[in-house]
Amino acid sequence: MTGVRSGRVDLPVTNDVLPKGKRVLLLVPAVTYRATDFVLAARRLELDLVIGSDGALPLGGQPVVHVDAGDPSTSSQHVLARVGALDAVVAVDSQMLGLAAEIAATMGLPHNPVGAVAAAADKAAQRCLWARSGVSQPAFRIVSADTEEPDAARQAKELGFPCVVKAASLSGSRAVLRANTESEVTAAVIEIQRILAETEKASSDHIVIEEYVPGAELSIDGLLSDRRLTVTAIFDKPDTPEGPTFEETLLVTPSELAQPVLTSATEIVEQAASALGLRYGPIHAELRIDTRSGEARLRMLELAARSIGGLCSRALHFLDGASLEMMVLLHSLGCRVQAPRLTGAAGVLMLPVEKAGRLEGIEGGEEALAVAGITGLSITIPLGDVVRPLPWGDRYLGFIFAEGDNVSGVRDALRAAHRKIRAVIN
Amino acid sequence: MDLVDQVSMALQTSVVPTVIARGGEIRVLTVEKGVAILEVSGSPGASVPLIARIESLIRKAVPEVTNVRMVGPGGRPLDEDAEGSLAERVRRILDVEINPIIAAHGGRANLVELKQGWVRLELEGGCQGCSLAEVTVRQGIEPLLCARVPGVVGIVDVTDHQAGQKPFYTAAKR
Repeated sequence: MTGVRSGRVDLPVTNDVLPKGKRVLLLVPAVTYRATDFVLAARRLELDLVIGSDGALPLGGQPVVHVDAGDPSTSSQHVLARVGALDAVVAVDSQMLGLAAEIAATMGLPHNPVGAVAAAADKAAQRCLWARSGVSQPAFRIVSADTEEPDAARQAKELGFPCVVKAASLSGSRAVLRANTESEVTAAVIEIQRILAETEKASSDHIVIEEYVPGAELSIDGLLSDRRLTVTAIFDKPDTPEGPTFEETLLVTPSELAQPVLTSATEIVEQAASALGLRYGPIHAELRIDTRSGEARLRMLELAARSIGGLCSRALHFLDGASLEMMVLLHSLGCRVQAPRLTGAAGVLMLPVEKAGRLEGIEGGEEALAVAGITGLSITIPLGDVVRPLPWGDRYLGFIFAEGDNVSGVRDALRAAHRKIRAVIN
Repeated sequence: MDLVDQVSMALQTSVVPTVIARGGEIRVLTVEKGVAILEVSGSPGASVPLIARIESLIRKAVPEVTNVRMVGPGGRPLDEDAEGSLAERVRRILDVEINPIIAAHGGRANLVELKQGWVRLELEGGCQGCSLAEVTVRQGIEPLLCARVPGVVGIVDVTDHQAGQKPFYTAAKR
């Protein structure tokens, strides 16, 4: 790969746009896993960084502008008044995507349409727009979040069992439940309504009931430029659960799927993004390979207008030394980013919360780190915190990282390390 | 392929990208009598904490190597610079200007060490494990220290954030 040299990194870009000194507004929600990696990436690129955040930051040597993602119009005006000219706006995590689009639109910077970002954050809108564009996806029904449970059960019965019942507005597998019978649909709807009530989204939300698609799952990360997708990472997800809840578990890369499957998957993701109106910036998509008919058919599960969540991007080590966050930032500045090459096989395992209670300890960390191939363990919930498993929780206990010469070794290492870890929750 | 090349190759896959990602650089200077001398530059926090992992990796890949030592740029010992007065000035700024402010979040920043202009800082209380700690360090503390104390080139955050008990903001996926 040829690139532009900047500091210690051969930037994976094909044009000569050097980012150093460019002024970038990074919109950082207070509650996120992603702040550190984006801030460090901006620092490595020597950007003139401005932070917008809904967090109350105690120090602001350089501009730290308070923003409220729930009030994008006022926040956008506030940012314009405080910050002045910018070269790019980047949302660090989902909560800030709408505001980033609004500010970028106001400033005439390349970004996704506000409506497209909103559609990508709404699982019901996604399904409808994909259906209209013929994107391959599970069959589905949509009901209001305050629907009577018998109506939801009737709709699910029409669809067939098993099915998946999910809140349209939540992410990270929250409020997503598999149901195998009408009574399980009823129970799932009641539980989702309770979760939504807690998030204050009950009145405006929808519930999606969709066909359960068995089969291998994969995720694709990439960067859209005028609707064309440059893939930055494809992960296989070999241990994805079959329900009743759908914890993220093991992700390994590069994918072991056949190249024609990956090519088709990339094309479907590109089509799905386009159907939502997305045309610029990072995306993260999840698909399943449906083999029930005897042939492999890819089905879009979900797509978000951001890069991969949690600390998962830390598993990716690219040959040129760039991080995924650096690529997102470079792309936001108009650099033409090339598809990166990995240094080898890598993977990450997200440690799910297995029961509700107070986290009193994590045992086996040293043993997990001693497993050959394991390169890191990051526990992200403070001891003493109250935790809840899915479908209620929105946090993972932490992340285990592995590297190796091949995917099977990485996968085995992560599974072995996971077996060593025991969360003490009482 | 000589021993220097073999050790370089062992570092190339996983260690070098990790060190670069943390703001440092690392290269093999020499391998003599079983001792590999590695020159580290940039942020010391990028490479020094990895010494055990690096040694294990090199010894496994190149059995002729029995010991690994890190040196600073030009082969200087890493602990050469005391920089006492600079450290005092940093400590004073922390105590007088920074800690009273971040105390509003239950946080505190302590100077652990100062080497070659790099401030090794440990955060505690509300800052330890906070999802916005990096923003506070890079946008708040670092520019303030660099502006107020000539000679300071940057901060290395050496906090064990995973051990934080009361972070002001906890990481989550929303």
